[in-house]
Amino acid sequence: MGKKKCVAMLLAGGKGSRLNALTKDLAKPAVPFGGKYRIIDFTLSNCANSGIDTVGVLTQYQPLLLNSYIGIGSAWDLDRKNGGVTVLPPYSESSEVKWYTGTASAIYQNLNYLKQYQPDYVLILSGDHIYKMNYETMLEYHIEKRADVTISLIEVPWAEASRFGIMNTNEDMRIIEFEEKPVSPKNNLASMGIYIFSWNILKEYLEMDARNPDSSHDFGKDVIPSLLDDKKKLFAYPFKGYWKDVGTVQSLWEANMDLLKEECELNLFDHDWRIYSVNPNRPPQYISPDAIVQESLINEGCTIEGKIEKSVLFQGVNVGRESRVKESVIMPDVTIGQNCFIEKAIVPFDVNIPDGTVIRSLDDEIVLVTKEMLSGLNPAY
Amino acid sequence: MKRKLLGIIDATTYHDDLEELLIHRSLAALPFAGRYRIIDFVLSNMVNSGIRSVAIFPKMQYRSLMDHLGSGKNWDLNRKRDGLFFFPSPVVDSNPNRVGSFDLFAANMDYFYRSTQEYAIISNCYTIINMDYKPILEWHHDMHCDITEIHHRDGRSMEMYLIKTSLLIKLIQSRNETGYTCMRDVVQDLHNEYTICRYDYDDYAVMVDSIVSYYDASLNLLKPDVWGNLFVKGQPILTKVKDEPPTKYEKGSLVKNSMIANGCVINGTVENSIISRGVKIGKGAIIKNCIVMQKCQIEEGVHLDTVILDKDVRVEAGTRLSGTVQLPFVVRKGTKQGALMNS
Repeated sequence: MGKKKCVAMLLAGGKGSRLNALTKDLAKPAVPFGGKYRIIDFTLSNCANSGIDTVGVLTQYQPLLLNSYIGIGSAWDLDRKNGGVTVLPPYSESSEVKWYTGTASAIYQNLNYLKQYQPDYVLILSGDHIYKMNYETMLEYHIEKRADVTISLIEVPWAEASRFGIMNTNEDMRIIEFEEKPVSPKNNLASMGIYIFSWNILKEYLEMDARNPDSSHDFGKDVIPSLLDDKKKLFAYPFKGYWKDVGTVQSLWEANMDLLKEECELNLFDHDWRIYSVNPNRPPQYISPDAIVQESLINEGCTIEGKIEKSVLFQGVNVGRESRVKESVIMPDVTIGQNCFIEKAIVPFDVNIPDGTVIRSLDDEIVLVTKEMLSGLNPAY
Repeated sequence: MKRKLLGIIDATTYHDDLEELLIHRSLAALPFAGRYRIIDFVLSNMVNSGIRSVAIFPKMQYRSLMDHLGSGKNWDLNRKRDGLFFFPSPVVDSNPNRVGSFDLFAANMDYFYRSTQEYAIISNCYTIINMDYKPILEWHHDMHCDITEIHHRDGRSMEMYLIKTSLLIKLIQSRNETGYTCMRDVVQDLHNEYTICRYDYDDYAVMVDSIVSYYDASLNLLKPDVWGNLFVKGQPILTKVKDEPPTKYEKGSLVKNSMIANGCVINGTVENSIISRGVKIGKGAIIKNCIVMQKCQIEEGVHLDTVILDKDVRVEAGTRLSGTVQLPFVVRKGTKQGALMNS
């Protein structure tokens, strides 16, 4: 294997339990988003667009779909002779099966993968987030600051700050304090879960962490604090732009609705920073003479005969006559019959909605439609 | 598939009537149905019929065709054995109106010698169709035919021929003695020594050979039965995929009875039209009965009726253009249409 300056490690084993039924059979990075994509497309595309051609994808929870989706990485131009995408599942050794118990242990158990490339830097990413970012610029910043570790951070609403790892810095952007999911945060600068480590530091601290029986083997809870204790050079890299952790049904819905705004911060139409995805190769969408489509994103392979307002429709969705879909996200290959009314809902992959079904929120919460719910509504289902 | 087929596509055809759309491309690479090229139909039919080796014989202006087909990956034809073969023959002076010139084939005899497939299907490149060759091959075998010519239900030959590869090789080799220049010559010779069969195909098929037939075939796609016939059969029409986002319908857009590909941003009104990938339509623009190819930009207040916009055309604000069904208005690739030009 040839030497690589920077290798990316993409943590894609997240269960995303607050996405409820959506992540029953698939990992959070594989959750569909934006009419065509899966969440992991954003990080993989960022890698491809940033010139990072060697990416290890760490999977654990429900990996089947994710593995087949990533394949050999050709959708992201990451099918390379030297480097490219490598899916890294947990494996067994002579004495035991080593599950990834935390983010740090996942990387630690794949140090051999990294050693093959003799990298100078390792970029650690999470496959759970939606954003466009040039990692090359962040790497330049890391080198310029002569940092041991660089952590990218973003301003989040104060109310949400306790969901994140919060960083306190001095005026030179050096991190002086790092609190993982604090109950009472001191500021609202959150870690985006993107780290650049200089290789020697990463190796040293992961080996140390692995030997520590009291560690939970997590970057935020264990590795970063011990680096700070040792006065290592940790720098914050401020990121401005769209960034969303779609951890809940509500936030997944919101992120989809963000795309419908006239001036959307997350521009999917930017040819200089394309978001790549596995293209389904379906015919163009067909909009019937009676259909009405307003303020929506619609993917190929859809047949629309009803009324669509402020909604995101994935490939292969059929909407029957006199049906109305409003402020909803309809995932691939859903069929909506005639005379249905669907408002503020997420309809997952491959669900059939029978004629005349009404789905609407009673308490302004987003409805996540399930097959069980529909069979309760309609005994014939 | 028990009996194996070799796929041969003649992409040398040129129709004078389509000249305006064929300046930069061959007929095989003519965009169709918003995201396809015409050759996608025959090529996908072959792949869906289990054909694993396809030879394409292009002639002039084949840059866009090669760019489109690439290694054949999108048709799953990038194989270690067999796969997609490209045989440009710039030196051979073949008749551009005859499908399957033996001279063209003769220039690449090694392909036929090396192929292990017992049968071959020779097809034109410009038929819009979704057909399965497997039952036709079984029929050809059961009827003890030497050559089967596939006809459409309207009686017209579709210029598709089934033949044993060994017989095809013999016909190519003996072309100078027999005087046969192509498959049509063989089947039309009343005194030939072969069992010629005629298979009638009675599903949807259109051969695109003029601007009018291109326009009609395009707008016919809006009929649900035609649409269903071509796209909803379990045999997908495959094409080169592009990383375009889904199409965005903005506030105030109005789209009726149209086919829209990905990557478009629509602000205006679109009716009875086919809109290709990456087209931008401004506020107040009205597009009726049109075919708009890739990446056209239609600015605010433009009115278009019965117009074919080739790729990368920019129509400036306020421009009005219209044609008739007998003579659709064609705008050449990469040009700019301003309001003053036609006033």
